[in-house]
Parts: sequence; C-alpha cells; structure tokens
Amino acid sequence: MEQARNYVCTECASAVPSGHKFCGACGAGVPTEAQTLETRFFGALQMPGKARLIVVRGDEAMGEGLSYLLQATEHVAGREADQIPFPSDNWLSPSHANFLYRGEKLVVRDEGSLNGVYIRIRGASPIQIGDHFMCGQQLFRIDATPKDTSGPEPDQTHFYASPRRPSAFRVTQILEGGMDGIVCCAHEQSLQIGREECDINFPDDVHMSARHARVEMSGESLELVDENSQNGTYVRIRGERELSHGDYLFLGRNLLRVEVTA
Amino acid sequence: MIVCSRCSKDNQDHYKFCLGCGAELPRQSSKPRSFSAPTPPGGMPTTGRTTDAPQAPQAPQVAQAPQTQGGRAEALASAPQLELEPTAVQPARSKPVAVEDPLPPELAPLGEVTSPCPHCGSQVPENFRFCHVCGDDLNAEASGSPPGDAPAERVSAPAVAEARQPAAARARLVLIQPDGSEGESFPLSAEGSLIGRGTGGIFANDAYLSPEHAEFRFEGDQLVVKDMESLNGVYIRIEPEVPIELFDGSIFRVGQEILRFEGPVAPDPADDGTQHMGSPHRGYLGRISLMIGRQTTGNSFPIPPHGIHLGRERGDVVFPEDGYVSGLHCRVNSEVGHVFLTDVGSSNGTFVRVSNESYVPQGTFVLMGQQLFRAEY
Repeated sequence: MEQARNYVCTECASAVPSGHKFCGACGAGVPTEAQTLETRFFGALQMPGKARLIVVRGDEAMGEGLSYLLQATEHVAGREADQIPFPSDNWLSPSHANFLYRGEKLVVRDEGSLNGVYIRIRGASPIQIGDHFMCGQQLFRIDATPKDTSGPEPDQTHFYASPRRPSAFRVTQILEGGMDGIVCCAHEQSLQIGREECDINFPDDVHMSARHARVEMSGESLELVDENSQNGTYVRIRGERELSHGDYLFLGRNLLRVEVTA
Repeated sequence: MIVCSRCSKDNQDHYKFCLGCGAELPRQSSKPRSFSAPTPPGGMPTTGRTTDAPQAPQAPQVAQAPQTQGGRAEALASAPQLELEPTAVQPARSKPVAVEDPLPPELAPLGEVTSPCPHCGSQVPENFRFCHVCGDDLNAEASGSPPGDAPAERVSAPAVAEARQPAAARARLVLIQPDGSEGESFPLSAEGSLIGRGTGGIFANDAYLSPEHAEFRFEGDQLVVKDMESLNGVYIRIEPEVPIELFDGSIFRVGQEILRFEGPVAPDPADDGTQHMGSPHRGYLGRISLMIGRQTTGNSFPIPPHGIHLGRERGDVVFPEDGYVSGLHCRVNSEVGHVFLTDVGSSNGTFVRVSNESYVPQGTFVLMGQQLFRAEY
C-alpha cells in the first residue's frame, strides 16, 4: 500500500502532475497551492539575501540583543539616524554608516564618519600605514618609521640621539579624546599586542587576550594577524566593505553581528 | 650575547658583569655594535660610533676621541669595543651596573605648606631643597652657609681646602673620565667663560659640542650656565630624591636615552559633537617620548596619575639594553598638580637639559657633548 505521488483530482481521482491548472482527465480546477512546487518561507526573516544586524553590545539606551532587519535597500546607522539609531553614543557621527544591498551582496559603507567602521578580521588581514585597528578596548594606528633626522649639522656638530634599533613600522595607541598614547616601534619586522609578555601590554584590559594580535612586515607589505583572541581584532574599513554571515562590526561603542540568510 | 655561567642570564656583549647576579663575565669579541656603543654617560656617540679601547687613566678623554665625520667609518671598522666600566663615573660609587639597586625610600608626601622662593618668588613646598621653578638652592640661602656645603657628599677636597677664597677665583670644570677619575680642569673666569668646540682646550675635539656651546658666569656666589642654543644642549645632574618640575617639552637623560616630556594635548571634538574614539583615557598627565632625532621620537609612554618609574629592569618603562641605566632609575609623577622628575638613587644619575639658563650648585655634574664635568667653586 502506498500513497499517490501527485496531486489527485478531487472530481475524478486522476493524478495531476505539478504545473497543470486543470485536471487533464475531467477538466476540474486545481488549487493554487498544488499548481507549482514553489516552497514558501515561514517568515520574511528567511528571505534569501536579506540580512539583519544584532546588537551584541550596545549603549545603555539601546540595550543588547536588539536586532534590525535590513529589508529596504539602504539602512543608515548613526547617532541621529532614523533606521538604526544609537542616540547616546557620542563616538558615532550623526550619519555614520550605511548598510546597503548591491545585487545579492550586503555591503557596509562608511558615510565619512569621524571614527569609522571596524570589522573583525578572520585570521590575518593585509593592513597599510595609516590604518586603524582595535584589540580589546584599545585603539591603534599603524605609522611609518620617521626619517632619520640625526645627521650632523652644517657646522659639523654631531647630533646626539638616543640609541635606536632597526624598526620597519610603529604602532600608536589612540586615547579617548584623540591624543596619542603608547608608541611602540616594531622589533625589526614584527610587533605583538596582548595582556602580557608582548611588545605592548595591557594587563588591565579584561577584553584583551594574553596574546591578542600581531602586526608583521613581510617584504613590502604589512599584515595584521589575530592570534585566536577571544574577542577578535578589528580593522577600520576604507570606503565600503562586503559583509557576510557571521561578520562582527564595531560602530563606536556598539558591537553588531551580521546575519545573512543563505 | 654573553650567557652568564652562574645564573644563565643573557647579557649584552659589552657588559662586564652579569645583569642578573653580578658575576664577572668573560670578555667578548669586538664586533662593532649597531647601536648603544658603550660609552660612559660622560659622552654619547650616536649609532654605531665606537671609541678606542680604554686608555691609561691619566690620558685625557679628548686625546682619544678626535672623531670627526671623516674618521668615523674607519673607526667603526677598526676600533675594538670599548670596555670601560660603564657606571664608574662617580668616584664615590665606583661599582658597576651589576649592583642591584636598593628600593628607593618613597618620597615623603609633599606638605601643603609652601614658602616663597627667595630668588623668583614662586611658592615652593617646604620639603623641597631646590625651587621647582628656577632651580635656586633653597638650603643655601636659608641657612646662609656657603653653597659648597649644601650637598655634603659632593664637596671635593680642593673645594674645602680653598674655601676661603671667593668662589669665582677658584671656579673650574673638572673633567670626569670614563673610569671615574678626574681629568683636566678648565678654569672658569668670573667675567664669564664661553666654552665649545671652537674654544679649544679640552673641548676641541668633541664633535657633539657646538662651536659655541655654553657660557658659564657668576651671579654673586652662584655659578650660572647658559646654553648658547647648542645642538645637543647642556645637562645638569639632579639630586637624588629631589623632585624637579617638568614642563611640556622638558628634556632629560637617563643612561644613553634622551627623553622628552610632553604635556597632554588632544584634538578638538568634531563640529557635530562627535568625540574622538579611543582607548580608555586614565587621566594621563602627559607622555614621555624617546628622542631619536631632532624632532622625531621613538617609543612613547603615557604617564598615569600615579606616575611611572623608569629603570633598566624594574619600573613601568624599562631599558633592558642600556647598561648605564640603574635597575630602578627615576620616576615621573604628579604632586600638587605639577609633574616632577625624581632620581631615585641611580648610579649614573638623571640629567635634565638646561632650558636657557640654570644655576649650577657647587659639585654639580654637568654633561656637555661627549664629556662629563663637575663644577667646582
């Protein structure tokens, strides 16, 4: 005993394959659900290519766990934005970032904000002089090694400078308010950041891993490497960046997770 | 690297004693080093500069260092590594780097009571021995004793012997040689003495002195030095445990390192009210930065409200590769709303760059160019 494999006409009990609007045997109508085999979603959140943002860590006003479904084509986030507002975070520009769809792809675009949009890197990421990145609660900038200005004067007086060692680049900590904090020159080609035993150490930053990240120069190019830190390493995007499921973004103090339906 | 046979600590090639346990280290090869050529704090070559091997103590330092630019490459290639006792600049404390410095006694908390400085009128906390604004020796004036008596340990035999003569008549700069012994003296005249590479004598061959470097003159019984806008400046050793105020741009020297204090400066917030994002700001007092060029700095460290200590091995900022820095050397901290530098009993001292002019109390160590002097009068 087995079940019929097609829709069965309620008038004449003949089998009707999908795609038919009428029964071939008796001409009776076929209900719309049975006319095609198209599967529908339970809800709009499942619409393919549509994404949502989940606030993993937000400011007090917005709370955590809040989610924003990105159903339009553009969605502006910012301190004074209508769609994704973060009114109490003064690290956000009034109109800070825009989440928009380009065809099937979701991208985030920095709307010329003061403080930028940071994305969590996966493993290693190329980085350039002038780029900003975050580890734990700390914000850094990569700087070039300045030109050696310790040569002698025209009158042949030698300049006495502190001993310096070869260094390919340097990392500058940026403090809240914009002033420079720690500056650390790389030991030759590499510089490590973490809680302890690194080149730059933050023993009191509870969001930083013991060995968190490192920056390395190989050949002419710099690379930022996350050392499997618990909270990740974030790099400031230039212009816009394509997002995929599971990406994490920092907008000011707000940490967002991107969920894109496959 | 020399590995100590007693405690297995790694030591720099030029160390004579182990940094870890003080054991004497075997002599090492004479490979030229890329930086931190071991010269005494009396004289600092820049990158890659080396000097001849130790000379007999009676030979004045200048005789061995006629290194102008032309001779430099040659010297690099041929000169054996200098193996002078790095810390033996002060006769009184001839023992070296390897000695573990005792923890400094904490600076007694500053009293709220202040009294006006007799020289400049600034309000000075009562336990200060020198005015933190003009550097005037308060003890000397308060007690009426001759200036030579103020820092007791600095009084040298000649100064005491000639105590009855007017200060200016016997004033001189005594060269302190790398091994700590006294070298030639340079007499200072009461009318004022200009010294520099161009004035000859014991200054002639020092490439780190400007042609006209500094002027010494007397104001009453006090010796005053004026920096003649020299390239490398004039540095004065500060007394241990006597705080010296730092201002934005103040420069000081610890071992071979030139450090600059920078007051806290922050950009304005954006016009739309957005604040600059950044790492937590813990009320930093400013930063200290390592000077690696005329206006270029290397590593920098912000100074938290409780201050920082600097040392070779201990402290918040360490210089493990500079054998002229003591284990714990000095501190920078805040008192009564100002930022101060205090030497905590280092072997080689902490030197502050003179900003325009400064008093030079009797017995003060003065660093100019590659050489260290003691002012006697």
